[in-house]
Amino acid sequence: MTLYINGIGCISPQHTFDNSVFLPEVKEYATNRLACVDADYAKFFDAGSLRRMGRLMKYGTAAGMIALRDAGIDVPGAITTGTALGLPEVSQKFLRSLIEVEETIVSPTTFIQSTHNTVSSNIALLCKCFSHNNTFSHKGFSFESALTDAQLLTLENTDNILVGAYDEVSDYKYAAMKKTNELRQEPCSNLDIYGAQNKGILAGEGAAFFVLSKEKNENSYGSFIGNKTFYKPENKGEIRNHILSFLQENHSSMEEIDVIITGISGAKEVDETRIELNKNLFTTQTILAYKHLCGEYMTSSAFAFWLASKILKSQQIPDAVILENRNRSPKNILLYNSHKHNHSLMLFKAC
Amino acid sequence: MAFHKGDVTLSEVEGSCIMQGKSQQIHIAGKGAISAIGNNVAENFASLRNLQTGVSKITVLTTRYAETLPAAEVKLTNEELAARCGLNSNEPRTALFSLIAAKEAVTDANIPDFKKWRTGFVSANTVGAMDKTETIYKYFMEDGNTNKLIEEDPYDAGYVTELVANELGIKEHITTISTACSSSANAMAYGARLIKSNQLDIVVAGGCDAMSRFTLNGFNSLMILDTNPCTPYDDNRKGLNLGEGAGYVVLVSEKVAATLSKKPTTTLSGYANANDAFHQTASSPEGKGNFMAMQGALEMSGLAAKDIDYINLHGTGTPNNDLSEGIAVQRIFGAVPKASSTKPYTGHTLGACAGIEAVYCILSIENGIIFPNLRFQTKMKELDFTPVTELLQNIEVNHVMSNSFGFGGNCSSVIFSKAN
Amino acid sequence: MSELIDTLKVQIIEQLNLQHLKPEDIGDDQPLFVEGLGLDSIDALELIVLLQQKYGIKLANPQDGPLVFKTVKSIADYITEHKK
Repeated sequence: MTLYINGIGCISPQHTFDNSVFLPEVKEYATNRLACVDADYAKFFDAGSLRRMGRLMKYGTAAGMIALRDAGIDVPGAITTGTALGLPEVSQKFLRSLIEVEETIVSPTTFIQSTHNTVSSNIALLCKCFSHNNTFSHKGFSFESALTDAQLLTLENTDNILVGAYDEVSDYKYAAMKKTNELRQEPCSNLDIYGAQNKGILAGEGAAFFVLSKEKNENSYGSFIGNKTFYKPENKGEIRNHILSFLQENHSSMEEIDVIITGISGAKEVDETRIELNKNLFTTQTILAYKHLCGEYMTSSAFAFWLASKILKSQQIPDAVILENRNRSPKNILLYNSHKHNHSLMLFKAC
Repeated sequence: MAFHKGDVTLSEVEGSCIMQGKSQQIHIAGKGAISAIGNNVAENFASLRNLQTGVSKITVLTTRYAETLPAAEVKLTNEELAARCGLNSNEPRTALFSLIAAKEAVTDANIPDFKKWRTGFVSANTVGAMDKTETIYKYFMEDGNTNKLIEEDPYDAGYVTELVANELGIKEHITTISTACSSSANAMAYGARLIKSNQLDIVVAGGCDAMSRFTLNGFNSLMILDTNPCTPYDDNRKGLNLGEGAGYVVLVSEKVAATLSKKPTTTLSGYANANDAFHQTASSPEGKGNFMAMQGALEMSGLAAKDIDYINLHGTGTPNNDLSEGIAVQRIFGAVPKASSTKPYTGHTLGACAGIEAVYCILSIENGIIFPNLRFQTKMKELDFTPVTELLQNIEVNHVMSNSFGFGGNCSSVIFSKAN
Repeated sequence: MSELIDTLKVQIIEQLNLQHLKPEDIGDDQPLFVEGLGLDSIDALELIVLLQQKYGIKLANPQDGPLVFKTVKSIADYITEHKK
């Protein structure tokens, strides 16, 4: 079922929260940890409700509100979200306090925000949305499951669904990533991470929300045709088969695809399969990369969804995301991303 | 997940039963549970019938409150749990519970050629690997020591699900839902929807959660823990007791149900998810979200309120929950059917509660039994009804509603019906 | 007493993250909850934590909250009364 992307909102390590522009300048980072650029939160929340919100709660809720305003919708038909790790910073603030005082007196505010459903329920609270409210927390399938939930809701006669995803890098996660040598070691610019000899990823974060509707309108960015997830593919052949069968199931084909958004991360060891697909399967498409802009995180496919939406509406591809230019006009976009064992595909078309 | 896997095309899905409102029945082919009152379904059933509570002094979790805050722990160490399911005892306690109950459910379903069907695992939890992290975290605080850190984030709920999915051999569709105390109700509903839309044939759905100092101190900071065994729906109720465990059901399509040697006794006939949109932790005084969830589930099942024979209440024992839920129940039902909270047996198991209580609801239907609301003494002055206080046996139980309401206003109700 | 009230105002702003307020914005007798400063039940729990951490006073029954936490002055009175 085709769903129209009628509103978007994105807060990321780039200037993405203003929908009137499209990556006007790319923010350069010299570290291996990319952090979100703050929007003006006072535009969305009064001081009373803002005072308790942790960092990700602000990003997530604001991104949701930006998408609703963009779509011109006060109350969505449902809210469904994905977050791989919930709100780790406030959760760990609570954990730290209870360890410090040896379980004597702890303050409840951080605990209240520690459940994974905090952002989706906070949006419901702000816009008085009493209907379906869901939160998926499954690694690299979190946003994808929310999209499937949105598709099911549409089949069940719900419209104008707010779907989104959000994750943050906590100090603990950053330390754990350092330990497992996943992170880029040598100092480098995020704008130069796809070189052949690079090792390690940039830790990233972000929040992106979308209003998906059955009807097209003058604000529509494009259409979301479908998605598919697969777990622990055994070999490269299986990945290739999943991609081709996904296109076939959606009445499309490799020839029809103009643009590939690949989840290439700059880490040579995990990018091997992606690079090979770029060479052997995506031979006539313009290939884009995005993780130098937002970093690697488990719901980064939501940032790619935002990128696809902006490209479809503007029919422009910023130079900053082009890995391989084959000068095709961006009408049909395929996203292939993976995070460890979680692989996902999404298909978009221009209106 | 593709919307049209294999031979099912887009138009077939669009024109399918969902759009016409007469969707196929979701049969429950198997069930599994572990809680403070039993390590499997049979032990849980025996304790329920013998009015045996699982709430007692904390002895497994290391905490300052071991003597002062009672809880419903599974009295097995991680090593003992690991020995029962074959996982490494270093894995999160949540995963050990999950595998034990999910395995029992799959074994109980005994589906011929299990591997041939499109099978999903939709699991819920709220604490992820917190039991491991809360111990390790202090090293990180002391000197940023990374050598002792585990890769899993404390709140990586999906880590637990993947461990169990790998053991069950499920690969087709895997996901995790985390909507606080309504999590496993939403897992069952999502599983049913994947089957109704013909994306999957079988879904193992439910949830798990282990006790942790994190949740114990968190609920304590909200001053909603009872220092005695909890008394839901009692006028003198003081709060809840935490519990732990896991509960799963095996949901199957009509096509799969037809192949089973042991015919399913129960269907998942209704479910609904609503949001109270009132407060981050508290329920609205009139229980708006609670009302909408119950109403939505009834509508889907096509049943009238009077058809419900028993309500397994969320009934945590906090002053706020029981009052809001009670008011909403009265509004929906008028004459309230037999109702009880089983949390005096199991404590509040958070992400596991709807899964465990689903198993209890099925037992109620299969055996014509209603389990009492233990320790109830005094009617709430705001309500017209009182919960069931004695074990009721040899009665006809055809339709059961189960409520699960959580932080963030997440309210879900599910309905189980006797299979025709 | 007035010194205690001034200290309390600073502590309340910190404990409840009321960064948009200055101590002088809070009147001694201004209602803190609902129609006054707009505090809610979570703030009441935070104030219980504050009393315990800063003054060693344990408010065992949350039902006493509304009376004790009515205004900054009523909190100061309660502290003076219960502090050993």
